[in-house]
Amino acid sequence: MLLEIDNVTLHYGRIQALHGISLNVNEGEVVALIGANGAGKTTTMRAISGLRPVSSGRIRFNGEDITNVRADLRVIRGIGQSPEGRGVFPGMTVRENLDMGAYTRRDAAGIAEDMERVLTLFPRLQERIKQNGGTLSGGEQQMLAVGRALMSRPKLLLLDEPSMGLAPMLIQQIFSIITEINEQGTTVLVVEQNAQQALSRAHRAYVLETGNIVKEGTGQDLLHDPAVKAAYLGVA
Amino acid sequence: MNFDALFDHIGQHTVDGLAKGAIYALVALGYTLVYGVLRLINFAHSEVFMVGTFAVMWTWIGIGAGNTPSIGIAILLLVLGGLVGAAASGGTAVLVELVAYRHLRRKNAPSLVFLITAIGVSLSLTEIFGIFTGNGERKIQGMPTILNQSIAIDFLGVEITNLQLIVLAAAFLMMIGLDQFINKTRYGRGVRAVAQNPDTAALMGVNKDRVIVLIFALGGLMAGVAAVLWNMRYGFTRFDIGFVIGLKAFTAAVLGGIGNLRGALVGGLLLGVIEVYFATLTASKWEDVFAFIVLVVVLMFRPTGLLGESLGRARA
Ligand SMILES: Nc1ncnc2c1ncn2[C@@H]1O[C@H](COP(=O)(O)OP(=O)(O)OP(=O)(O)O)[C@@H](O)[C@H]1O
Ligand SMILES: [Mg+2]
Repeated sequence: MLLEIDNVTLHYGRIQALHGISLNVNEGEVVALIGANGAGKTTTMRAISGLRPVSSGRIRFNGEDITNVRADLRVIRGIGQSPEGRGVFPGMTVRENLDMGAYTRRDAAGIAEDMERVLTLFPRLQERIKQNGGTLSGGEQQMLAVGRALMSRPKLLLLDEPSMGLAPMLIQQIFSIITEINEQGTTVLVVEQNAQQALSRAHRAYVLETGNIVKEGTGQDLLHDPAVKAAYLGVA
Repeated sequence: MNFDALFDHIGQHTVDGLAKGAIYALVALGYTLVYGVLRLINFAHSEVFMVGTFAVMWTWIGIGAGNTPSIGIAILLLVLGGLVGAAASGGTAVLVELVAYRHLRRKNAPSLVFLITAIGVSLSLTEIFGIFTGNGERKIQGMPTILNQSIAIDFLGVEITNLQLIVLAAAFLMMIGLDQFINKTRYGRGVRAVAQNPDTAALMGVNKDRVIVLIFALGGLMAGVAAVLWNMRYGFTRFDIGFVIGLKAFTAAVLGGIGNLRGALVGGLLLGVIEVYFATLTASKWEDVFAFIVLVVVLMFRPTGLLGESLGRARA
């Protein structure tokens, strides 16, 4: 098991955002996490990446307990993230943003290789390479955020709503790229509002409701689950 | 208002102003670096400069430097002073961060608490030096004159002294070095990342605490170089020397656009020139007041300064 979240709770001040969630991601999988606004999806991502300390429970990565490991050190262990809201560095060029993704790495040859790969995945970024991140369109920023996360050559890639703000065609494209990245060997945990796409692409999925995991199963199972259909797929 | 005095020698006054402003610019960098990353006005930075002037003075006196030594020895004393000043000021700045601010950050203290702490640290350092140096007499402390001043360049009647040349060259070299470091190196990129988006920076593997120590050290280093230039130029220091220099440097930082490194340079040089012009017009009396008039006017009409903010661009 690559990632193992065991009974994690998390608070923002007095507000409890996670009520003891457990979730696993196996090596090679694409796992989707779906849920309504405010369900705690982003909070789960923050717990995994270490941006927010958990109140109780354990997080294990690659067999090691990382519950108390600092966020920047989790990157070195192999967790890469494209955060909610993209988090593009507005005053850095596209290239500098991508270089930031490789901040913890020293293997110049490997970095150049990954830069090549990312720019092949997202040709649009190549065209904008010298432009400041802050001047990119929303969709371009999303590509930059995903590409930047890949630059750390992560074992586990966390994507928080990668389709947010994208045109329908681009949504298709970004999910194809997620599949492609996965086939190239990266494990993916993706948070999505776009449940239809996410579930049809994912090997397995979890449904989060007000800080609790209420359902889990294969992507196909959940896609055909009546309750999920009614709540998240807009089908009565 | 004596306009003839100003315009008859406008070139000379400009050069004098630039040399004066270069010292402000170096100190201003410390305010701007810390503000750019932490959104904190580090009022203790004036004392970081003050500690540097003392460290350099003690070093010169300690190794028995005499007045106006030969040029070789003078350069040696300057380089040595620069190293000692940079180490002392840089060390003080890092110590302030480790002892005072880091703890507050861990507790997520509101920014007002940081501000009050900064003022507290500033006053404490001032008083400690007031009590424990110069037999507690709280007077100006003189030191050997390191440089025998002479005219190095005479260009169309504008005389540039060797001292002014050294001050300007040192300030520009430090500025260029810092600019390259921040914009071209991996560590510099880490600094900019934390300034622009601290959470995402952590997701890239940047250790925020280490970046913060780095910017305090860099700001201190610049103040230390400013300290040795000050000592060379004015030949004295005092426990409360940081107050006025600090306020002027802060004014320079705001004038250029706080958070903007090149703005600190522009603001410092401009303030120096404005001061000299104004001192000439009013026969000196109003010189210090004028810096603060500039500060108030800038804050009123263009709070983002001349160049605006760049280090932490668009954090808002
Ligand atoms: N920084 C914060 N401080 C206080 N409460 C927060 C904070 N961030 C999130 N919350 C609360 O925690 C709960 C979970 O929020 P979270 O951002 O994880 O939801 P989400 O599932 O990602 O929602 P969305 O689909 O809208 O992105 C919400 O009730 C939210 O109001
Ligand atoms: Mg969210």
